[in-house]
Amino acid sequence: MDMFQVYLPIAGIQFNILLLLLIGFTVGVCGGFFGIGGAWIVTPALNIFGFPMPYAIGTDLAHMGGKSIVSTIRHGKFGNVDVRLAVAMIIGTTTGMELGARLVMHLEQLGLAESVIRKIYVVFLFLIGSYVLYDYLSHIFRQRKAAESGAAVYTGETFAQKLQRVRIPPMIHFKSSKITCSLWLPVGVGFVTGVVASVLGVGGGFIRMPALIYLIGCPTLVAVGTDLFEVMITGAYGAFTYGIKGRVDLLAAMWMLVGAAVGAQMGTVAVKYVRGYSIRLLFAVTIFIACSSVVMKQLKYQTASSVLILSAGIVISGVIIGWLVQGIIKERASRQARSWAAFKKED
Amino acid sequence: MKQRLQRLLRKSPTIWQKLRVPGWATALVLIAGQALAAGGKPATKLINVADTRAMDPGLSRWIAEAYNDNLWLYALLVVVTMALMGSILGFGFDHLVGLLGIDLGKLEHHE
Repeated sequence: MDMFQVYLPIAGIQFNILLLLLIGFTVGVCGGFFGIGGAWIVTPALNIFGFPMPYAIGTDLAHMGGKSIVSTIRHGKFGNVDVRLAVAMIIGTTTGMELGARLVMHLEQLGLAESVIRKIYVVFLFLIGSYVLYDYLSHIFRQRKAAESGAAVYTGETFAQKLQRVRIPPMIHFKSSKITCSLWLPVGVGFVTGVVASVLGVGGGFIRMPALIYLIGCPTLVAVGTDLFEVMITGAYGAFTYGIKGRVDLLAAMWMLVGAAVGAQMGTVAVKYVRGYSIRLLFAVTIFIACSSVVMKQLKYQTASSVLILSAGIVISGVIIGWLVQGIIKERASRQARSWAAFKKED
Repeated sequence: MKQRLQRLLRKSPTIWQKLRVPGWATALVLIAGQALAAGGKPATKLINVADTRAMDPGLSRWIAEAYNDNLWLYALLVVVTMALMGSILGFGFDHLVGLLGIDLGKLEHHE
């Protein structure tokens, strides 16, 4: 195992290359599948294995930008990236993040920053996970009811569709998402998610992805791809700011990116074989695990919290790869059956 | 005024003798106070430096030297490296996945 040890000169520690590849791979699979950055897996994972925390955050942001390029290329070819929508969201997000940072400074001056932010983080994660799970269970219930009565599934008008009907010019058609709405809707949603992400001190992928689905009305796959485009931009910006502060270990980021590139391809291709609501269900489970990890950290069980989040990341990656392999086997089997049927017909 | 000054100058040796003890005591208190103020929490590192002393020539050493030379250039190097690596690996692995025979065309967005 010593041959896999490498000296990271900027973090000033010895680290195992295989561990960097594994962490990168795990977060690559999850990131490519859910459309998130995955900092909540990488940062504690690096930290428990000896990385100083500021370097863990900076190195993660650096590799996140590169990993998101890999996923965005694939999602783009699948038609899952709505660039126009992503740009509108980025305008709102960057403004919101700036306001969020000032809000945190104000809370800090009042001496409330730590206590308020911690509680908001847990509550937010719980609410997001609960709503996504509720949405999935409602969908299953409607499907069963429709199957029993033989009627079509009735969804009613969603909240996103009501927001789309608000006519504040300019009205824009977003091609990949197949929605027409006011430009102020994605800018506003981006602004709110930016404020929340900045206050919580996170990248925001796990907030933006459900916001794209439930507030803007994107199909799940487009929400995943579009969010990754944004993560790519914020990752590059984060890499630059932490790089100037000297808190990015480029060598570690490069090794993690190699693992993440493989994982991101697998996670991205896996969405081809999974229906949108299944992605939402696994997303809800992931958010609940993240919430539990944050609660454990606040109860001072730091190591247990990091072990939980890294183990959960590995298990969830395993589930996603399982779906991928199953899907590839079915696709090849059906293609073989079709070519065999065509061959017999010619005879 | 002139007379006051003359009186003061005549008395000055005795004044300085009387001030000697309280003067040194004040100086000691001030110096000790500064010394105590300098203690407390250890000072944080002002500049981080990558240790290249025991490193062999190669990519790691080059990166560490870039880090030590100029952090702005280093930050630019980070962004460019990640972007280039991401693009090359992205297109490369994309091509490899295509060789598996999977249909990688546009997806239908079914929920």
